[in-house]
Amino acid sequence: MPELTYLQAISEGLREEMRADDSVFCLGEDIGAFGGAFKVTEGFIDEFGAERVWDTPLAENAIIGTAVGAAVEGLRPVCEMQFADFISCGFDQLVNVAAKLHYRQGLSVPITLRLPSGGGFSGGPFHSQNPEAWFLQAPGLKVVAPSTAEDAKGLIAAAIRDPNPVVFMEHKHLYRRAKGEVREGRYETPLGEARLARAGEDLTVITYGAMVLTALEATEDLDGASIEVLDLRTLYPYDREAVLGSVRKASKVVVVQEATRSCGVAAEIAALIAEEAFDDLDGPVVRVTAPDVPIPFSPPLERAVLPQVEDVREACRELLAY
Amino acid sequence: MPQMGVSIAEATVVEWKKQPGDQVKADEPLLEISTDKAESELPAPVSGRLAQVTVEAGETVDVGTVLATIETTAPAEERSAAGQDPSGPTAAKQPARAAEEHPGTGGNGGVPPVTPVVRRMAEQHRLDLSQIEGSGRRGRVTKKDVMAYMRGQGEPDVPPERQPALHMESPYREEAPSAPAPELAEPAQPGGRELSVMRKRIAEHMLRSLRTAAHCTTIVEADMSRIEAARGRRSYLPYVARATIDALREHPGLNATLDGELLTVHEQVHLGIAVSLGDEGLIVPVIRNAHELSHEGLAARIEDVAQRARKKQLSPDELSGGTFTITNPGAFGAVLATPIINQPQIAILDLEAVVKRPVVVTDAEGRDSIAVRPMAYLCMSWDHRALDGALAARFLATLRRLVEGWSA
Amino acid sequence: MTTSDAGHVPVEQKAGQQPPTLPSADRRALLRYMLLMRATEERALSLYQQGKVPGSFYDGRGQEATAVGPAFALGPRDRVCILHRDLGAHFVRGVTPARVLAQMMGREGGVTGGKDANMHFADRRLGCVQMVSMLPDMALVACGLAIAFQMRRQNRVAMTWFGDGATANGQWHEAMNVAGIRRLPVVFVLENNQWAYSTPNELEFAVDPVERAAAYGFPGEKVDGNDVEAVFHAAAAACERARSGGGPTLIEADTMRMHGHGAHDDMRYVPKEMFEEWEARDPVRRYEERLAGDGVDVESVRASVSEELDRATEWALDQPMPDTSVATAGVFAETDPELGDGEAPWSRWREEHA
Repeated sequence: MPELTYLQAISEGLREEMRADDSVFCLGEDIGAFGGAFKVTEGFIDEFGAERVWDTPLAENAIIGTAVGAAVEGLRPVCEMQFADFISCGFDQLVNVAAKLHYRQGLSVPITLRLPSGGGFSGGPFHSQNPEAWFLQAPGLKVVAPSTAEDAKGLIAAAIRDPNPVVFMEHKHLYRRAKGEVREGRYETPLGEARLARAGEDLTVITYGAMVLTALEATEDLDGASIEVLDLRTLYPYDREAVLGSVRKASKVVVVQEATRSCGVAAEIAALIAEEAFDDLDGPVVRVTAPDVPIPFSPPLERAVLPQVEDVREACRELLAY
Repeated sequence: MPQMGVSIAEATVVEWKKQPGDQVKADEPLLEISTDKAESELPAPVSGRLAQVTVEAGETVDVGTVLATIETTAPAEERSAAGQDPSGPTAAKQPARAAEEHPGTGGNGGVPPVTPVVRRMAEQHRLDLSQIEGSGRRGRVTKKDVMAYMRGQGEPDVPPERQPALHMESPYREEAPSAPAPELAEPAQPGGRELSVMRKRIAEHMLRSLRTAAHCTTIVEADMSRIEAARGRRSYLPYVARATIDALREHPGLNATLDGELLTVHEQVHLGIAVSLGDEGLIVPVIRNAHELSHEGLAARIEDVAQRARKKQLSPDELSGGTFTITNPGAFGAVLATPIINQPQIAILDLEAVVKRPVVVTDAEGRDSIAVRPMAYLCMSWDHRALDGALAARFLATLRRLVEGWSA
Repeated sequence: MTTSDAGHVPVEQKAGQQPPTLPSADRRALLRYMLLMRATEERALSLYQQGKVPGSFYDGRGQEATAVGPAFALGPRDRVCILHRDLGAHFVRGVTPARVLAQMMGREGGVTGGKDANMHFADRRLGCVQMVSMLPDMALVACGLAIAFQMRRQNRVAMTWFGDGATANGQWHEAMNVAGIRRLPVVFVLENNQWAYSTPNELEFAVDPVERAAAYGFPGEKVDGNDVEAVFHAAAAACERARSGGGPTLIEADTMRMHGHGAHDDMRYVPKEMFEEWEARDPVRRYEERLAGDGVDVESVRASVSEELDRATEWALDQPMPDTSVATAGVFAETDPELGDGEAPWSRWREEHA
């Protein structure tokens, strides 16, 4: 099997879907002639033409709003926000039109929204965010966040085939850092299913996106403890059974997210565990997150804010000793 | 005696596998019981000494009856005799240690917390936590400590997953489609094909209904002219359904369910409508409070549940709670049928095909002539345990009157 | 097309032109739809005052011509995003008053079955996409529908409505811009009813919206929004342009909102003379007079509408409230979208596609 980077995997997945189904088309800023800010759609305009790879004006509501209109007429648009941060400029169409249409009218909206998210390279406050929690508060949206190249390809395909609006959180820092064997041809990674990145018994780290790599590194060799790492992959609707099963096994849980602390995915997982696995707990549920601050620019400041390998190690050590 | 299913009220002890005085281990098979659904082995809920057996082999008792008593290991008795709680002796040790590690720490006087999983395991296995060495912070007894202790005591190594509910605890089970009872499974025949899960479920229900109810079928013939004139492109079913509801108002005894010897007449009409799923089978979604709907409302609801039934989008509570059922296979042209009652209801109405027939009509002066009318047989199967032919006939006569006199 | 010949067409010039005469059956139909809208909204308002309509109530009294005229110009495969003062457009597509009244009362049998309120409904089986409260979001959705037609090389049209206030919003500009860049087959019907809630035009924009179409690269046309045939002809021409690849049109229909923003609004901010002036131009009464003058039996149309409303009211009041299980159902779709075709009563359409 060929080895691809996370970025190449997304590109390949998207390309395969566009080849297999001509109702799939891409829209976003600078995705055509320029191949996209992160080159995910490099070469696409040559293969598929300008109509199916639309260089839109600088107008996020227009990107998402027109995608909704095209989707209800049977096309399958894949929108790109240049940075996840810019979703705020298209937020209205996403949460009020796309998310609610099926509930209110029974009309499906099969759009996919790619959001290059996350920090770690001095992007500053407007190019480093992880806004996934906003989408969990808008019923009608599905949210996925792959951490491996294999899942990146499978999840972009699954997102495109799903008849609902799916927000695809592609972590920028994984684009070239995550590499792996990727199956050839078309395949889908099921939504709503977590992946066991490593099995363990003494403690489980539940996480997603770039933090999966951080968690694996932090717990590789931690005082001989056997530490499980569960990769959520889908943030909504997330795999409750996998979470509860993991907690039942290990009884000690650390939930890690790169996003800022309050009311994020980790808070949701922690609440679920407290409600439904209380009798399985041998210690408090611990979260490792960024603090509630905009992400700063200067490298030492950014490192102080984004969860590092050492932060995860420390939290695990503390809980193991409880 | 545990409840082996929602509808089971009693069971029989077949054989005791242990005798009074024997030591038993948790989960070890203790006795065999039998219900009219199946035979089962019951495991011992706890480890200890089988002190006393109160129901002998061959006896049938109600669910909930005490079968036997097991004495568990000594520490529980000592503990209860002493009236201390499990953390008592530990507490005596702890203040010193706590004071060493965290001088000045207030809180609960230095007693380390018992976490939920440790508490649960202690209760389940009747352990005295004071007997267990704590390796956690402040001398806390951790889950690992409990597991190590149990291994040391020769207890079977309990897997950390939550234990399944004990049979004594009778969990409620919904009457949703489930795996078939073993005796219905067909041995594989050369060239034969095992029934699908849906077919097995339908088979089980139909057999059970025939076994339970005393089935009779009464038939009337109704002139559908008025409905024909009103219906336009719509089907006959919503009209007949509305008329049926009105007929049930006049004869409420038919809007009832029979459970053993308990007959419940219902105020509301929750109407089941049989929906064919093609060769796969059939399903009977329930339109709740159908009596509140006009024939147009019924038409809309019938269309909706039929569509969702075919797309398998019905929820479990749309498949239960019916008080009367109507089936309408008439689209295929058959004229008579003897339907099987949908348990636990006491009647089911079958609307057969509407066929133009020559009939005798009598005018105001009493003169007879032949006219061509659209006629249909309304076939109702009913349970002779709950009612007699006279009521069945009166109901059908009323229904016929409402159908023949239809006006919106 | 250069912007100079795009230019908007003032009302006075329009009067001099000779649009094709509509056959009698179509004129009756136009009247019937307008009467149906007026009668349904009057009945719904009455129900609201009787306490049978939860939440707020919005109507389009005085705007019947701008609702019905443009919708009448559509073909069955065209698609619409209808707004809250355009009930007549729903009727043209095939929704019945009975389902509308049930919708207002939040009942089962209403178009959304209780899921959404008042005019926030649309029947997807008739090719209608449901509005949201944020305006003019639907302008962008209409552009998206048009993009689908364009990509598939189909000569179908997307149509949507919005008001004067919506033209202040960023999404209106994004929609106008995208439509102009791609020459989308979309028809924008701007109902200038003089008021955005209590905000008059002069506080809403500095330049008449119809003139701004040129800035986005396509024609803007102003019509008397209370003359149903004038609005119809403008829309028919715009649809024709769109179908033949000529791109979008902005039609500004001048009209007046005769009732408050919602039933709770007493319109104290409107000068009395303004009411009187626009009352004299009531679109329904004007058209009745014109048709009666041409020998059409207006009374029979009124009678048929009245009878339909009575039946509709009875049916709607008979509908139960929705089962609570509906509240948590249908958040996610299991299958791909199914948008059907609407009715297209305009006779020429029927002729062409007999």
